[in-house]
Amino acid sequence: MRPLTFRKLFFQCFLLAVILFFVVILALKFGAVPVSLYALGRDLLRVLLGQSSQISSDYGLIIQNIRFPRIILAIIVGASLSVAGTSFQALLRNPLADPYVLGVSYGAAVTAVLGLVAEPHLALPPALAALFTPLCAFIGAAATITAVYFLGRRQGQIESNTLLLGGVITGYFLSAIIVFLLSTVNSSNTRGMVFWLMGNLSTSFQKSVYWFLAAGFLLATGVIYASANDLNILLSGEKEAMHLGVDVRRVRFVVYVAASLLTGLAVSVSGAIGYVGLIVPHIIRLIFGSDHRTLLPTSALGGAIAMVIADTLARIVVAPNELPVGAVTAVVGAPLFIYLLRRRFA
Amino acid sequence: MAAGEAGKAVRIGRGPATVIGSSSRQPGHPPLAQRPAPFARKGEAGSPWRLAGLFCLGRVSRRNRGGFLRKFLPSRLHPAAFAVLAVFTCAAAPSHAQSANHSSTEPPAFREVVDELGRTIRIPQQVRHIVSLSPSSTETIYALGLQDRLLGDTDYCDYPPDAQKKTKVGGATNPSLEVIASLHPDLVLVTKLNRLETTQSLEELGIPSYATDPHTVADILSSIKTLADVLGAPEAGASVAENLQHRLDDLQHRIGDLPPKRVLFVVWTQPLISTGQNTFLADALRHSGAVSVVNSSQDWPQVNLEEVARLQPDFLVFAQSQPGNASREVEKLATLPGWKIIHAVRDRRYAVISDAVNRPAPRIVSAIEELARQLHPKAFAEKSPDAKRDTKKETEKENPPSRPLAFAPFSWSPPHSPHGHSTSAGGCLCGR
Repeated sequence: MRPLTFRKLFFQCFLLAVILFFVVILALKFGAVPVSLYALGRDLLRVLLGQSSQISSDYGLIIQNIRFPRIILAIIVGASLSVAGTSFQALLRNPLADPYVLGVSYGAAVTAVLGLVAEPHLALPPALAALFTPLCAFIGAAATITAVYFLGRRQGQIESNTLLLGGVITGYFLSAIIVFLLSTVNSSNTRGMVFWLMGNLSTSFQKSVYWFLAAGFLLATGVIYASANDLNILLSGEKEAMHLGVDVRRVRFVVYVAASLLTGLAVSVSGAIGYVGLIVPHIIRLIFGSDHRTLLPTSALGGAIAMVIADTLARIVVAPNELPVGAVTAVVGAPLFIYLLRRRFA
Repeated sequence: MAAGEAGKAVRIGRGPATVIGSSSRQPGHPPLAQRPAPFARKGEAGSPWRLAGLFCLGRVSRRNRGGFLRKFLPSRLHPAAFAVLAVFTCAAAPSHAQSANHSSTEPPAFREVVDELGRTIRIPQQVRHIVSLSPSSTETIYALGLQDRLLGDTDYCDYPPDAQKKTKVGGATNPSLEVIASLHPDLVLVTKLNRLETTQSLEELGIPSYATDPHTVADILSSIKTLADVLGAPEAGASVAENLQHRLDDLQHRIGDLPPKRVLFVVWTQPLISTGQNTFLADALRHSGAVSVVNSSQDWPQVNLEEVARLQPDFLVFAQSQPGNASREVEKLATLPGWKIIHAVRDRRYAVISDAVNRPAPRIVSAIEELARQLHPKAFAEKSPDAKRDTKKETEKENPPSRPLAFAPFSWSPPHSPHGHSTSAGGCLCGR
């Protein structure tokens, strides 16, 4: 393995961070309510100078309270899904693995739908009621992760193929339950539930939720990054890794739990947004190579960029209405991926 | 050629049987006791046709299983398909009439009517057995006082409460054709809620289906009238429609001159889904002195919250089946940064009406009145001379039956008091 030069890591991350910055600026500018770049720059400057109380105009409030939180959510969700996808692809040694391959999103969806049905009947305080569905979704995701982990365990250790198949079958089983729930609950509720299943970032949350998500993302990504070397070795085969002194069992467990946590967090606030976790790691790998020590941070940034772009498109293409962001990620992601794939092997 | 004749043979076999069955049945008798099973009815419909019938049922139920997601796609009914169906029905018409003459002394056993999708259907002169596949049709039948003819309805048909006791044929999108067939209806009432496959399968079973498709409140009224004519109760239809029109005129008289309130009709909050301008719901809002701020050609658009924050509606309007949900929903939204900047949420300006507004049935006028009372309280305050805004709630609670009750036993008072569940927040009547 080539030694990691910090200059290289820094250069790649810096490049992507600059792109992310400009993408965020553009995402702040474009939307249902028009904003000039000048006004945007002036208000950004005021925020940086700590004079955010001077922003009182209508559009300032809109950007501060609606558009900016949404972009932050897109960054966290995109980065989480992308890191989770990278981890699962290495862990399962399967290029088709994505954050949802182990059925996590369906587990989250089942409990979220149950939560949506149950919430009106529970007299919850308003602040908790607003968090109820994401909490339910996260509980479902965690339960699915645990169940699939035990399904994939044989003689005390995880087996890639068993885990993969166990996850896929669990996903099918849970999606059947969702169909059952949706066709039995009262019809007026299903419309919102279906939108939730298709994935969207338009949900507004209390500020603390964003901090919680960011902390969870940094923690889980840090844990995975600590095993980046082991993941590199694991790519050459389980036996080889074991002979080289990698504690395969421990790495599997740690990376599995951390990546699932990332997926669970993302799903619980945005629903199941497809393709980002599958395609972004591949694109980053094609551009920067497959060393996980650079791949993990760069694909986090790449996932954030992709998700902010996709969500901005979802907001502006049919403004003032919206598209489901999952449709945008699929429509934009798939052709881009095919183009890169063909160019690489041409 | 043989296949075409086969289709006719089944129809001929079924046509007169329906007439005999219905004319010989006494009101008190249970429907099933009088009749044999649907596919073993006549000698001429022997075993091959019976098998064909079963095959057709099997195919239909297989289709049903895959069709779950179609519910969410716009169910535009294909005109060409109906043209074919119409031709097919007309071709089968003469043989129907002939065989009807053989078996019945009343000369014209069938008549042809055109439904609101332009389909020509053949129905018996006397429509005595009806199955409703949508909550709105069920409510209309009760309003017309024809509930004795209603043999079955869907799981969603929950109003009036008596409708829940009818035989359930399943959901609107996936009804059980076997249960419908076992009820031997003369006519099945369908709307856009139902899928095209259902009406086609009913057609294959020889059961006519009549579709209603109103797009405005005026459409709803005329649709009720036409349906009453089709069902042979024109007086009831005229009286219901006239009464509803009278109430709408009265409402118009009270609030017609007032500037309309700009409202956001909330179908779902996270994500925000509202209603477009081309729905009967938007028209109902206009009738109650409100105008939706969402300008969309989609029927159920997902709306960007920024747009709502820019437009700043005067009121949020919720349609709720359970009282109290809306106030909790608004309290919930008021904790979220994105929603807090919408003044109507911040000041708790919202109106709650019965979910009857979602159904193109007579009760929609009650929902329109409810909304108008909440949005324009001053226009309704003149009745009690010294009524202040604070005492208005009480005066209204005292005399809800002031609404005309034209057709017993169907009560027109809404299922809950219009202001009962907004009192906790107390904001929805303030200062407007």
